[in-house]
Amino acid sequence: MENAIEVTNLTKHYGSITAVDGVTFRVARGEFYGLLGPNGAGKTTTIRMLTGLTKPSSGTAKVAGRDCIRETLSVKQRIGVVSEVSNLYNEMSAWDNLMFIGELYGVDRSDRVERAKQLLEAFQLYQRRNDHLARYSKGMKRRVRIAAALLHRPEVLFLDEPTSGLDVQSSRLIRSLVREFNREGVTVFLTTHYIEEADQLCDRVAIVKDGKIVAEGSPEKLKSSLRDEAIVEVAFDRDTPNFESHLRADPSVKEVSRQGEKYQVRAIDCGIAIQEIVRFVMSNRLQILSINTKQPSLEDVFLKHTGLDAVQVEKMELLRTSRAGGQRG
Amino acid sequence: MVNVGDILSGRLARDVLDFLTKGACIAKKDAKVYYFKPQIFGFGILIPAFVYLAFSLGREIPPGLLVPGLVSMVSLFGASSVEAISIAMEKQTETYELLQTAPVSTAGIVFGKSLAGSAFGIVLSLCTALGAVLLSQSQMVSPIMFVIGIVLGSFAFSALGILVAAAARDMPTANISLTALRLPMIFIGGVFIPVGTLAPGLRLISYLTPLTYMVDALREGMAGPSVALAVDLTVLAAWFVILEALAVVVLNRRTQL
Repeated sequence: MENAIEVTNLTKHYGSITAVDGVTFRVARGEFYGLLGPNGAGKTTTIRMLTGLTKPSSGTAKVAGRDCIRETLSVKQRIGVVSEVSNLYNEMSAWDNLMFIGELYGVDRSDRVERAKQLLEAFQLYQRRNDHLARYSKGMKRRVRIAAALLHRPEVLFLDEPTSGLDVQSSRLIRSLVREFNREGVTVFLTTHYIEEADQLCDRVAIVKDGKIVAEGSPEKLKSSLRDEAIVEVAFDRDTPNFESHLRADPSVKEVSRQGEKYQVRAIDCGIAIQEIVRFVMSNRLQILSINTKQPSLEDVFLKHTGLDAVQVEKMELLRTSRAGGQRG
Repeated sequence: MVNVGDILSGRLARDVLDFLTKGACIAKKDAKVYYFKPQIFGFGILIPAFVYLAFSLGREIPPGLLVPGLVSMVSLFGASSVEAISIAMEKQTETYELLQTAPVSTAGIVFGKSLAGSAFGIVLSLCTALGAVLLSQSQMVSPIMFVIGIVLGSFAFSALGILVAAAARDMPTANISLTALRLPMIFIGGVFIPVGTLAPGLRLISYLTPLTYMVDALREGMAGPSVALAVDLTVLAAWFVILEALAVVVLNRRTQL
């Protein structure tokens, strides 16, 4: 089966900085593919090259069977692009925005009227179709933006941080509808900083760091690559400054980190780690408030490959959310 | 590059039709979104009105000079303001990226925008011309040539507005740069002072601005068809093509990072 996206050694330099460094990947038709990475990892530059907004320095990229550099207009006709900012016209109604986009993509008048009605109903906006976008909330604007990207029935849908900074209700609706369109055959290429979102939606994800793909596979496959690790979370009744150094001395313990009041211990063997914790509790006359073991998550995979810690990831998510919130909805 | 195969297969005709249709679609949208912005009223209508009043009140200006000068100035400010503001706003609100991701070339986007800007300039200029001709009871020997002059001039000024806004970082810079270009053009372009009476150096510079050719074309149009009129119209058309091409190059450089 022909791939929806084929990228080979794609590279982008900005002066002496290499934003994307020889990435190679394939996305099958109908697949839901996610690109995860910290800020500045090269996710947006990759999307920009695939959607014809930026010319690559070297390498090749094909989308929907067309060359992104030599057949740019043909590629654009076959894709839908939703950028992080809901960039539609606030001075026009949702309906007029969709009609404009439809006309720009050469959709027949009767078809675009029918399709716009169908999409606005699906995104629960049909009743407010004649309101100017200036009167819409951020979540509503994002829904119109996604509807606009789907109006011409694209083969591939590019979503750059589609739920960033949105309320829970809008985020859920968007995720569920995007998944639905994917089931109907639209290939989806997603970048998100919500690792859980990628875990729920994507058939496969790639983790990028410093412009390179450092891991790729289905979320389950990536998580299973950490199966030789056990994670124990424990909270004590009082502050224990020497807990981290004590546990790190044990050769079976890989890492100890503190997240709020809890400690997270990564170890090769869960049983040995718990024994060590209990020994520490006894000798220091502590009380355990809570203790539990957990399976490695996609976030753990992300942390391992990007070299970030959980606090940095949290900061990264907060930063992106506040940036997105500050932008025009 | 155009090849014979494309012409024979009808592909060229389809491409041209597609280019025109998408241009018209962008122009319609621009008219809806930008024609009624307060900045257009300020930079496109109020400023030329004040400039004209400041320099014409108390002076006896013959109708042969008044009508072409006033109409050309209205066209210059009207046509260039709409698209300068539209391009600057589209870049600022990132709606320009929406156009870039659509299956339309930068040339198509620029063409659509110049259609919207020139339509605004044409309507404004025609209304001004009608009022000025009726009030001054001027004679109009060749109204068709006069209208062609307005159309070509408005297209050239619209492309000028797009080019300046494409190069500018933001809207204030675009407006200031455009005003800095337009005001000197008025003084050396024959709006108030006939070009023939300018100092040789200024006269030479005046021949490098499209406004000079529009004022001259309208003056010739009022007097009747002539060789000079044909030259003026050709130069205006060339200005449009050159400014449009430059706008495409600058927009591509500024936005395709």
